[in-house]
Amino acid sequence: MAREFKLPDIGEGVHEGEVVKWFVKEGDPIRENDPVVEVMTDKVTVQIPSPVTGKVLQLRAKEGEVVKVGATLVVFGEAGEAAPTNPATAGRPTIVPSAPPKASAPPPPPSSGEALAAPAVRRLAKELSVNLGALRGTGPQGRITEDDVRKGAQTPAMTPKPATSLAPPAAVSVRPVQGGEERIPIHGLRKRIFEKMAKSNVTAAHFTYVEEVDMSQLVHLRDHLKEAAERKGLKLTFLPFFIKSILGALKEFPTLNASVDDERGEIVLKKYFHIGIATATDEGLTVTVVHDADKKDLWGLAKELERLSNAAREKRLALEDVLGSTFTITSLGKEGGILATPIINWPEVAILGVHKIEKRPVVRNDQVVIRDMMYLSCSFDHRVIDGHVGAAFVQNVRNSLEHPALLFVGLE
Amino acid sequence: MGCASLRTPMVRQVDVLVIGAGPGGYPAAIRAAQLGKRVLLVERDRLGGECLNYGCIPSKALIHTANLVHAIERATERGVETGPVKVDMARLQQWKSAVVQRLSNGVGQLCKGNGVDVLAGHASFTGPDRATVRTSSGAEEIAFTDAIIATGGRPSDLPAFRFDGKRVLSTKEALELPRIPLNLAVIGGGISGLEIGTFYAKLGTRVVVIEILDQILPGTDPEAARIVGRRLQKLGIEVHTKSQARGWRVDKDQTVIDVLTPEGLIARRADCVLVTVGRRPNTDELNVDRAGIEFAPRGYVKVDRQLRTSNPHVFAIGDVVGPPFLAHKATKEGLIAAEVIAGHPAELDYRALPAAIFTDPEIATVGLQEPEAVAQGRKVRIGKVPFAAIGRALTTGEYDGFVKLLADPSSNVLLGATIAGPDASDLISELSLGIEMGATIADIALTIHPHPTLPEAIMESAEAALGEAIHVLNR
Repeated sequence: MAREFKLPDIGEGVHEGEVVKWFVKEGDPIRENDPVVEVMTDKVTVQIPSPVTGKVLQLRAKEGEVVKVGATLVVFGEAGEAAPTNPATAGRPTIVPSAPPKASAPPPPPSSGEALAAPAVRRLAKELSVNLGALRGTGPQGRITEDDVRKGAQTPAMTPKPATSLAPPAAVSVRPVQGGEERIPIHGLRKRIFEKMAKSNVTAAHFTYVEEVDMSQLVHLRDHLKEAAERKGLKLTFLPFFIKSILGALKEFPTLNASVDDERGEIVLKKYFHIGIATATDEGLTVTVVHDADKKDLWGLAKELERLSNAAREKRLALEDVLGSTFTITSLGKEGGILATPIINWPEVAILGVHKIEKRPVVRNDQVVIRDMMYLSCSFDHRVIDGHVGAAFVQNVRNSLEHPALLFVGLE
Repeated sequence: MGCASLRTPMVRQVDVLVIGAGPGGYPAAIRAAQLGKRVLLVERDRLGGECLNYGCIPSKALIHTANLVHAIERATERGVETGPVKVDMARLQQWKSAVVQRLSNGVGQLCKGNGVDVLAGHASFTGPDRATVRTSSGAEEIAFTDAIIATGGRPSDLPAFRFDGKRVLSTKEALELPRIPLNLAVIGGGISGLEIGTFYAKLGTRVVVIEILDQILPGTDPEAARIVGRRLQKLGIEVHTKSQARGWRVDKDQTVIDVLTPEGLIARRADCVLVTVGRRPNTDELNVDRAGIEFAPRGYVKVDRQLRTSNPHVFAIGDVVGPPFLAHKATKEGLIAAEVIAGHPAELDYRALPAAIFTDPEIATVGLQEPEAVAQGRKVRIGKVPFAAIGRALTTGEYDGFVKLLADPSSNVLLGATIAGPDASDLISELSLGIEMGATIADIALTIHPHPTLPEAIMESAEAALGEAIHVLNR
């Protein structure tokens, strides 16, 4: 019995994914939990394992194609079973397709599939090499308009390759560029970053508040606990302490553990604490999430952070590892510089940037002394967070970092 | 001096060689020329191909005339009195030929005006970028960058009924008869068989139609075919389905054919036998193998979505790439092939391939048909309205038939339409446009259609599909 496997609804506003890589071919035998396909959503790239043991009958999407949630990705069946006809192509008057032509035949333009688009719009899509299946129509009942196609043509992910058969654009450069240029298509995670950063930047009214923290006691405490951590097989960074500190401040200032529902014009206060950690990967920035951080002790946090960091490095992040953060920390560690103006992980309302810890001369009791100092740069959405609330939040964080005993009292 | 160079074969260099000047080939040639190509169009017979010279156009000229005769005869009930209507077949043929000639000349002028060179002769491939054209004055070698095969097809005959041009006729000869036959047998109750059979029946011929399958117009919506079947009966046409013509003999200078019907073997006299049992592609004289072109099953040329054959510089369009055998499909394919050759990112992506059948009444279809939906197990929303509910149809006296629309049940997007009835061939294009534009049946129902006109039936059936019809009871 053929079984269609659809791109699951993974929630969190994820409504489509790009097929990055197939691990199987049509006709391949497959075992349950074998990797089938790598799909990139606007949050993360995930490997989807096979739900069945049997045979791969049909792959319904090409690599690079964007698939909507609920659309069939792949059809599984029993060994020896034949593929069903694709409803998308059955019953339409088409010419029997032949094997790809040899020699110099250029690739055909993207197929317009079943997209609701008038003939002239479909022709324009071919001319601009836009995949209609990846567009959302703004016309009546979701029809794709010429404008939609033109806009789609400006979004590089939808134009995987220029139409080879199109005439070259008229020369516009005044003189040849020395050393040449390289053009990198913007797609995948980079495209999500493009969209997300721009969205945050135009939506939230950013303001950044900076404070200096004396980290001497915490540095001392961490050095002290390092050995204990090693005995547990853990690497203890400062991040678990920062998380503890932020949790305390968030409980004091609940409007910071929130998001904005711009569409409904509501502020959503979160009663759970999922702390996002901005993490660099080879593909680009992603936010890994420590879920229910308030229910973990220091070791639990350290352990979870290590797991997330390994998974990110090995590209094994699961969807839930990158979904649902309520407040985000961005930390560059030793390369943390002095100050920054972090961009909020929209639709959250605040982000905390932590910078490098270094010994600096400071004045204590009218004496210049050397302390382990660090700056915090915290950006807020000023629409939600008033200046004094933001400031008080950062002071609360600073206070617990400077007096780390506070991190371990009164939290439960 | 000069002798050696005379013996060197002249090679004519062209950008695009189009073989066949039918409804696929000449538009392809013109479009390629419009896009800046040097084009040579080779035709072995007449410009316009079978459609213009021996098929669609002459048959429609004749059918229209027969309908006129029929209408005059039936006008008596409305108080129109005439004497017996007589048809001078020789003059009718003359008029028809003039129509055909005018159109064929027009094709020549269009080619000339667009800078397409036309060469009369038989073309065949001699290599992947070479062809030779046999003309009345010898042979000409052609070197082409790209070529389009648009050689069309020809009627098939049967082993027991070989075309001889006298007693066993193809559609071409049946449309050129100098006299109205007394008796005509039609083997094959498909589109052209019924069109021509009805034409002669209206001029007084006794017509018998023999169809091997269980329905006339096989493949057509049975409800539509039934409407036509009833009219055939009224016209006195004898129809045998599930029947097979076994052979023919000559008896007292008349052809007698033996027909195996479900009730037994019968014999019918006929002055001539029209065989309309299908078409086959004209590829046998092209030497396509020398150009490295592969065949699909049954002698059709294999092409991709851009009409490209297995030789990337040779394209094929129209009947040679397979059914349905429709002139407008060939035309569309020809334009696409020309655009692909000119470097445009074109390909076959029409949603709606309409078809018009000039029976009485006419049938026109586009997109998904009900039997197809049933076969696919696809759920559809159907709206159907008889022309008898439409005022305009009653005023013309032609109200047999219906409009049937098929839509997606969840999105209401129009998927297909079947029209049987007056002017169906003209009515269908509104629905083709609807399908191409992604219209919903609500769009059609909400669009004002002028009263009193036949297209109101389209609006009404869209309303019926939505359960909002005014002039029929909603189920």
